[in-house]
Amino acid sequence: MTGAFTALGAMVLGVLELLGGLAILAARIGRAVLAFQLDRRETVRAFYNVGVKSWAIVALTAMFTGAIMVIQAGQFVSKAQATSFVGWAAGFAVLAEIGPVLIGLMFSGRVGANNTAELGTMVVTEQVDALRALAIDPLVYLVVPRFLAMVCMLFLLTALGDVFALLGGGITSHILIDVPFRVFIAQVVEARLLDEYLLGLAKGSVFGASIAVVSCYYGLGVSGGAVGVGRAVNNAVVVAAIGIFFTDLMVGLAWSQLWGS
Amino acid sequence: MGAAAPEGAGGGPVISATGVVRRFGGVPVLDGVDLEVRRGELLGIVGPGGGGKTVLLKVLAGLLRPDGGEVVIDGASLAGLETDGRARLWERFGFLFQNYALFDFMTVGENVAFPLEQRRPRAPEDEIRARVATRLSEVDLPGTEALFPNELSGGMKKRVAMARATIADAEFLFYDDPTAGLDPVTSSKIFGLIARLHLPRGVSVVVSHDVDRMRAICRRFVMIDRGRVRFDGDLDAVHASDDEMVRTFFDESGLAL
Repeated sequence: MTGAFTALGAMVLGVLELLGGLAILAARIGRAVLAFQLDRRETVRAFYNVGVKSWAIVALTAMFTGAIMVIQAGQFVSKAQATSFVGWAAGFAVLAEIGPVLIGLMFSGRVGANNTAELGTMVVTEQVDALRALAIDPLVYLVVPRFLAMVCMLFLLTALGDVFALLGGGITSHILIDVPFRVFIAQVVEARLLDEYLLGLAKGSVFGASIAVVSCYYGLGVSGGAVGVGRAVNNAVVVAAIGIFFTDLMVGLAWSQLWGS
Repeated sequence: MGAAAPEGAGGGPVISATGVVRRFGGVPVLDGVDLEVRRGELLGIVGPGGGGKTVLLKVLAGLLRPDGGEVVIDGASLAGLETDGRARLWERFGFLFQNYALFDFMTVGENVAFPLEQRRPRAPEDEIRARVATRLSEVDLPGTEALFPNELSGGMKKRVAMARATIADAEFLFYDDPTAGLDPVTSSKIFGLIARLHLPRGVSVVVSHDVDRMRAICRRFVMIDRGRVRFDGDLDAVHASDDEMVRTFFDESGLAL
């Protein structure tokens, strides 16, 4: 019994330590961003690595997401002979919810995991110490550029992903439920999903911030060589996924409070 | 050997460690180290592997925080320095890491130029390029500016790291095993470079197992064993030491022969 309490206590302390560490890192990043403390060359490099190298996988994910939404919605609208709603249903789900979440998860797996591994390797090979020894703050040089790149690029990638998701949905509806592509797009336009579209973009930015903080936290906290790097990447992906779902809930609630009817 | 020992230190202590303790996982790696390094001194730190030499060097350079004791550099306690103060101090440092610590996303040229590029006011690009080329030639790596670290051998990486650590003519130079993995000729050149780059107003601290070559450049040696200072003195003091382990260590290393 005592052992169970000890384990529970250790788990609670571990979670509190994690939340505290993430909050402190987020606060330090926020302070540096507001003071515009960043290395420009590293920032450009981070934007390229995060954005340019990710758009293809995001586009592919988004196309499949749009297609799946149409397949799911298609079964019901066909039975109810309400195919005029397929564009609205798929557009609503993709733009506000499924698109940003799946793109965020894909982004976390590609960019977040890579970021943790890169920073972790820099820690174990003393490159982070070398920056300090050169009087360079690793937060300013390594973390802030990555944070900005992830926030801005996940916003833009979500916007891009929305286009490809609707493209995938339109093609699927044309092939599977005989709703022509242009009709599908017209349904999406007529559904006036601007609010959902903006909500999705806002979620993209928040997910980007969440993934950046989590991946940097675990990357800079690596200890124990290659095994430590692997463990950190694993933890970062899991915690970032939890963070995506949690912030999805929070942003959704906040959005409905602020702009909900 | 090619390198002459620099003149002895004439100034007062510029680095002072008092009762420094550093633990990893509860195990003390440094266990109450007291050490002073005087201005102008080129100090050699030796000792058996795993004794705490690298950890001591990092603590002295402020890269590791001690769990106990105090490190004072040029009158400022490291524990009392905020981030900005610590950064200003580090601007006067050059550090050669045991595992090179080259930035793998930069070329050799960019790595070596990096300390100069971070300085304000920034030197003109042509001057930086010329200094990088000169320093790379001095470590026998001319024309390697465009290579990436993963294209270099271990010995070449070490020499690039040496070039980066010393290019800014830092006042405080810390070398962690500067000749590990290098051939004897290059090792002698590296020690010669360490002696030549040592500033009379500065401090150089060299951790190395290549104790034979250290004789050419260091007048004072500190031996660290199991986290404590086992010996502190010059070669005459080695001969006069009552500690058999000290005499054996230096004799077998060829240092006191």
